[in-house]
Amino acid sequence: MAGREGILGAYVERPAKHYNAAYGTFYDAIFFINSYGKAPMDFKSVLDVQERLEGVQYISSKEISTVVFLAQATKKPILVEGPAGVGKTELAKSVAKCLDREMIRMQCYEGLDESKALYEWEYAKQLLYTQMVKEKIHDVISETATLKEAVDQIADHEDAFFSERFIQTRPLLQAIRSEKPVVLLIDEVDKSDPEFEAFLLELLSDFQVSIPEIGTIKAVTHPFVVLTSNNYRDMSDALKRRCIHLYIDYPAIETEMHIVKMKLPGMDEALLARLVSMVARIRDLDLKKRPCISETLDWARSLMVLQIDELSAESVAQTLNTICKHKSDYEIVKKNILNVIKQG
Amino acid sequence: MVNLTLKFVSCCRAADLRISTAEVLDCVSQLSLVNPLEEDEFKLVLRSNFAKSRREQSRFDQMYHLFFHEMKSDLSQVSQSPETEQIKNFLDQLMENDTLDTLEKALADFLAGKPMAYIQEVHKIHTQEEQEARALKSNMSQLASRLQVMLKINQIKSKVLRFLGDNHAAVDEALKKKITGDLNDRLDHAMGLLNNEPRPDNYGLKEVKNHETHYNHIGEIPFASLGQEEIEEVRDVIRKLVKKLEEIATLRYSVSSRGVIDIKKTLRKSGKYLGVPMEIIFKDRPLRKGKIVALCDVSGSVWSTARFMLNILYSLQECFSKVKSYIFVSDLMDVTDFFKDHDVNNAVEKIMKDTHINYYAPTDYGMAFQHFKNRHIQELDKKTTLLIIGDARSNHMNPQDLVLKRMRERCRRVIWLNPEQEKFWGSGDSEMYTYKAHCHEVRPCGNLNQLIDFIEELIL
Ligand SMILES: Nc1ncnc2c1ncn2[C@@H]1O[C@H](COP(=O)(O)OP(=O)(O)OP(=O)(O)O)[C@@H](O)[C@H]1O
Ligand SMILES: [Mg+2]
Repeated sequence: MAGREGILGAYVERPAKHYNAAYGTFYDAIFFINSYGKAPMDFKSVLDVQERLEGVQYISSKEISTVVFLAQATKKPILVEGPAGVGKTELAKSVAKCLDREMIRMQCYEGLDESKALYEWEYAKQLLYTQMVKEKIHDVISETATLKEAVDQIADHEDAFFSERFIQTRPLLQAIRSEKPVVLLIDEVDKSDPEFEAFLLELLSDFQVSIPEIGTIKAVTHPFVVLTSNNYRDMSDALKRRCIHLYIDYPAIETEMHIVKMKLPGMDEALLARLVSMVARIRDLDLKKRPCISETLDWARSLMVLQIDELSAESVAQTLNTICKHKSDYEIVKKNILNVIKQG
Repeated sequence: MVNLTLKFVSCCRAADLRISTAEVLDCVSQLSLVNPLEEDEFKLVLRSNFAKSRREQSRFDQMYHLFFHEMKSDLSQVSQSPETEQIKNFLDQLMENDTLDTLEKALADFLAGKPMAYIQEVHKIHTQEEQEARALKSNMSQLASRLQVMLKINQIKSKVLRFLGDNHAAVDEALKKKITGDLNDRLDHAMGLLNNEPRPDNYGLKEVKNHETHYNHIGEIPFASLGQEEIEEVRDVIRKLVKKLEEIATLRYSVSSRGVIDIKKTLRKSGKYLGVPMEIIFKDRPLRKGKIVALCDVSGSVWSTARFMLNILYSLQECFSKVKSYIFVSDLMDVTDFFKDHDVNNAVEKIMKDTHINYYAPTDYGMAFQHFKNRHIQELDKKTTLLIIGDARSNHMNPQDLVLKRMRERCRRVIWLNPEQEKFWGSGDSEMYTYKAHCHEVRPCGNLNQLIDFIEELIL
């Protein structure tokens, strides 16, 4: 394995340390000491998850913490569903921070295929190599007596053409090959095509992938996998079977206050309470796009910048465009403004 | 704990939650990592393993409540009180009778705290499909089965009374009341399961409520009220729109339009020949969207919307890998071939003139869906978008929405376009709210502006 790693490492976009085997061991040793000393260890309990997530500014519910804990303990991926902007992506990022792991993100879309998700051949290098081969081909076959021998000789060298040295890793392969465990975020998996989903199945069940020209590559370490879905389409039973399911809803009023307070410590408590309960009421309206947590934050920020400390019909209307991105939504909120700003 | 979980799983399966053995094993092993005596943790572990999407959660919650609360299957609660003794006697007596049919047995089990068989019976009734092709149409078969269960439940209720009446020596009044109360509660619950089919929580549903004003006057007139001249005007607009969309689509893919060499693929293949490009690979114009299957209600006023929709879909055929279309009133008919042989406008005219569909039959969505499922379901796959164009007014026939659910399971997305404006959806014989539970997207689409919004979203 180590030898292979060396070859792959030398040609693939990687930190410089891998260009030289001696450096490699040196750095690896440092990493080892580091992870030993600081010990960003696995989560020990549900409470541990909750506290450490809060330590990196992610407010999690008991449900979220429990699922994260179970997923890590059983090495299963989490499939997260929920409306836009409730912190699905943020959860994966925060888990990575807590565990002191690198996060590798794979954004899915229609038409995404293996060459963009897993690996791609480095054509330029292959082409150069071809040129080299052309020049050298004489040497290779000079010793051969018959045509058959010459062909065999060439065939021996041909394998080198599709070897790991010409592979360019994409996020999924990178996650699998990483020596240190990573957090792998497969974002908006519902946007991908069924073929890609089928391909993910192999990856998620065995943590290995097969590259036809090279063979099977097995995960060195186990990534913590988070898949998110906005329910554009239903995921297959087979995929769901491999995951633990988590649904994240809009946060409760207290939770959202907690989040805003943490990110914008200077905000007046009473104003904040008003703001958050107004956002909750706006979410109940029939909007094209409901305001999400980051829009609550935007709104709070703009109130602070404009030094507005009183949420009246006028000041709300004046700042409303921070949470209503569509004109028609803006109109609906304005029409219901009295209901939205009512106290208590 | 494991046994209890397994029993619960059988109930869930009876209620159509698909739970695999692997998931049961996962669940059991995870229970050892939490404190299962804390109910919220216990429930969470079960739920995150047995309901793998938000849609399934409401079903799961219903089963969980039934099993762990209503049925008190909780093992900690096996207390011996005088009424449990009496209830046991009653049930023994009820079961003794060996002429019980499956339904009666299921109900007796249900009273004894074993709900699985009954859930299965109820599920069978809920998913019962109407018989196709009968001389006299009725939608009564499901109702009839329901009625049968209700009668059985009432019979058992009177048996309870009789049992207690025969037994007055042994039981005092207060206890009697308690027993009748307990058993009746449970029977009422059984009735509730029968009558309240749980609808999935369709939280991911995309509902489009507002539309842009692309055209001022003509854009807002309902399709059904367009005059002849206005129809021409709408067609003109559609022609322009189609042209515009095609241009955008080709522009976007101009780099990869047909005829250009795909360098990467060519090089890759050339590896086989030591770098000599023996096989030249050309780029195909990527098809943006998969296949479209359109089901159009053509009864009454709905046709005026369906025709424009078909017109647009076929004008933009190039953007999809395939377009199939069906029309229905109560029978369903494949009209795809009309568009192979004629240009779009003629095809639309011909569909109205030349098809043998009975336009005057009462619209029956349930039956049309069933026809589709029985004969054409193979047209649906995970790359297909199913478009349904109709007002969902089904003349109070059995909506058979579970057939739509099955169709959803086969395709990528289900989009329902309703020519009526949203405020009318719940009124009269409209089943829109029933069907909505099984769609990915619903939107009113009864005028040009709404149509343009939809098509632009579909293509771009
Ligand atoms: N629990 C939380 N604690 C702290 N901040 C949060 C929390 N949830 C959400 N946020 C904030 O909300 C922002 C939006 O969250 P994020 O981008 O993760 O949403 P999402 O669910 O991935 O949305 P989308 O579906 O659009 O991808 C984050 O940048 C973060 O600032
Ligand atoms: Mg996200």
